[in-house]
Formats: sequence, C-alpha cells, structure tokens
Amino acid sequence: MAGTVAKKCLSPLAFLTRRLSAPEFITQCCYHKKVVDHYENPRNVGSLDKNSKKVGTGLVGAPACGDVMKLQIEVDDEGKIVDARFKTFGCGSAIASSSLATEWVKGKSVDEALMIKNTDIAKELSLPPVKLHCSMLAEDAIKAALADYRLKQHDDQQEAARASI
Amino acid sequence: MLSANSLRVVRSSRAVLHPNRLLTNRLSVTCSGHWMSTSLHKKDTWHSNFNVTTVRTEKGLFYSTNYIPSLRNYTANQVKLNCWNCSQLFDKKPTFFCMSCKVVQPPEEGTSFFQIMDCDCTFTLDTQKLQKRYLQLQRSLHPDNFSQKSAKEQEYSESQSALVNKAYKTLLKPLSRGLYMLELQGMQLEEGTDSGADSHFLMELMEINEALDEAQTPEEANKIGQDTKGKLAELTEQIDAALRKGELQAAKALLGQMKYYANIDEKVKEKLSEFM
Repeated sequence: MAGTVAKKCLSPLAFLTRRLSAPEFITQCCYHKKVVDHYENPRNVGSLDKNSKKVGTGLVGAPACGDVMKLQIEVDDEGKIVDARFKTFGCGSAIASSSLATEWVKGKSVDEALMIKNTDIAKELSLPPVKLHCSMLAEDAIKAALADYRLKQHDDQQEAARASI
Repeated sequence: MLSANSLRVVRSSRAVLHPNRLLTNRLSVTCSGHWMSTSLHKKDTWHSNFNVTTVRTEKGLFYSTNYIPSLRNYTANQVKLNCWNCSQLFDKKPTFFCMSCKVVQPPEEGTSFFQIMDCDCTFTLDTQKLQKRYLQLQRSLHPDNFSQKSAKEQEYSESQSALVNKAYKTLLKPLSRGLYMLELQGMQLEEGTDSGADSHFLMELMEINEALDEAQTPEEANKIGQDTKGKLAELTEQIDAALRKGELQAAKALLGQMKYYANIDEKVKEKLSEFM
C-alpha cells in the first residue's frame, strides 16, 4: 500500500498536475523517499540468537504512539559489530529509523556505535518534527543493545575470574 | 479525583491562553433602571490591559479590573457570559443557543468535553447516552441548518459542530477518554521511549506482534484479536479503579499499556481484511 502511495507521490505527472500553491502540502502528504525506500526494501529485518554471549538485544517502546522496537547486534572478539538485525512494529518512520540504525552500526566498534545520535538519523531520513521521536527510539534501541552486550560481557568476565580461582 | 478545584484552575488557565477571546465582546455592564448598558463589542477597547468594568451580581455592584491575572480567578464560575446578539445573560454552561433570542452562540473557552456532552467526568461512561446526546446536539448545531442564516451564525455553528464532533470522538473510546481525563489534570504520555517499561512486557508485545504478522489463517488472527480484546477489557477496569482513586501515575502507566494493545487491535483488523 505504501508502494502505490509512493509511486503516486513521486511520479512526475502527478507532481505537475498537483497544485503547487502551498509548498507544505507536498512535504506533508508524502513520506520522504528515503523512508519509503527503507519501508519497501527493508535491510536487516530478523533476529539473532539472544542467548549468545556475543549478541546484545535492545528492546524499547514508546507509549505515546504504541511503537515497539527490537534491535540486536553481534559483536566479534575485537569489539567490532559484525551483524545487526531489527524488528519494529510501528509507523514507517520508526521502521526506517531502526533499519538505518542497523545499517550504521555494522562495522563500527562498540564505542563508535554509542556516538550515533538521533539527530543524525532524523537528518538522514529528513524526518518531520512530529516523527523526531522515532529517531530517538532508534538511538535508545542502539544504546539498549550495547548495554545488554556490555552486561553479558561483564558477567562473562566475572564467571571466568571465578573459574580461574 | 482531584476534581473541582484543580479542574477549575485548569479550565481557567486554558481560557487565559486566549486572552482576546476570553475578554470577549460578551462581557458587559449589566443594567438596572438608571444605568446605561454598554456591551464592549469593539475589539479596540482592549488595547490597554486595564479596563474597569462594573459587574452586577446578586450581592450588589463590584468593580473588577480585568487585566488577565485577576480575571482568571473569576472566569470559571462567577463571571457570566451573555448573548452576542441580545446581551441576555446565560445561567448555565455550555449554552449553545440563547434562551431569549434563540441565536447560536460560539463555543465557550474552558468547557470540557464532558460538559459539552452532558456526562459526568468519569472513566466509565454510558456510550448509548453519549451517542444520543451527540445526535441531539448535531441535529440542532449542524451547519446544514444554518445555510440561510447570517455569516456569523454560520461560523459559530461550524465551530460548535466541529467541537461536538471532537468531544464525541474523544469520549467514545476508553483510551482517548482516559488520556483526555489525564490531560485535564495536566498530564500526558511521554513522546519518547518509556524508560520505566518492563522488558518482559515489551517482549510479550513483540511476540504477539510477530505471531500476528506470521498468522496464516483468519482463525489465528481472530484468536490474537480475542486475546487482545480481553487484555483491553482488563486494562479498562484497572484504569477505572485507578482514576476513581485519583492515582494518576498508575492510570498513566496503564493507559500507556492500553495504547500498545489498541495498536495490536488495529493490526488484527487490517490482517483480517487482508484475508478477505
């Protein structure tokens, strides 16, 4: 359904026949094409094994809009994120934000991923003001996943320390 | 519930947000035999903030300077509004039509949806009664009835009708009703992430959403729909109890949960329509 809407918005003929008198009319009626792209061609949808010590799972929700977002990262022994997956139930902007987040964290170290800001995500997707909270949700999901991974690693180290005694 | 006092403050503070409309041309000097009655229709009389009006009440005359802060204390119940057409004083709110000249009135600032729909400000609501009241109001207020009337009346009927629509829609569903009740108390659900959310709860929501996504038959989708409706009914009862006791934070948390389930309910409907 979003696909047909997108095509209607982006086709040049429709653009010409629509009244161009109110510029905000155009931006309001369509999702930005980057958001539509993530919606129609989602990257990294899925799950990783949440029981694995190398996987951090971030699960966040926004009560005002009822969106739920799960973001998982897999980290190798050098502390680099090698894989990321997401599952989001919510609006197109939330889906796009989390999809972009998984793209961005891949290849980054755990510390570098912590620096990803919601403003960067919002800028990249040209999110309107009413959808800025979606990018915040994505940032929180990244942080939650990293925190979960750190916790697991910490537990792991404690276990190893105890075992060696 | 923190009812009368806080409600009054909220109502009058909302009225204050539109000071020009508050000090409308309907505030007037009332008359006895020897006094001139002047109603302050012209907007340019308000260019200075300080204007003295005399208002007559049962107890006698008193002067009030109606710069906004002091007037705030008088808004909700004491200052009476009157008809823009014939200056007749209203004795109740909300007044949709003047009692004497029968002309339609503009919406009054600070009237809650509950007052408009003539319902008690409680979470449990008789939706039949609500619907009856809605139809009754629209029968008299709908702009179609005003096509031959003056432009001002048409404008007023439009805004009244739109307001009644909004009130009806908000009060009809438990979720919007509960959120509106919180709003009247100055509370709102947070826009961003719910930091207090239980991870088990979110996990459960994820699983329900995933199951719905993967449902292959209408029966599976229906089962999820039934479970969700059960959850919503349970939450409705809990929210009612919390609001009765005035436990606003608890009510807010429960309404947040309700929002998630309401979304799932919507998705179930979409899924079922896909199967058709």
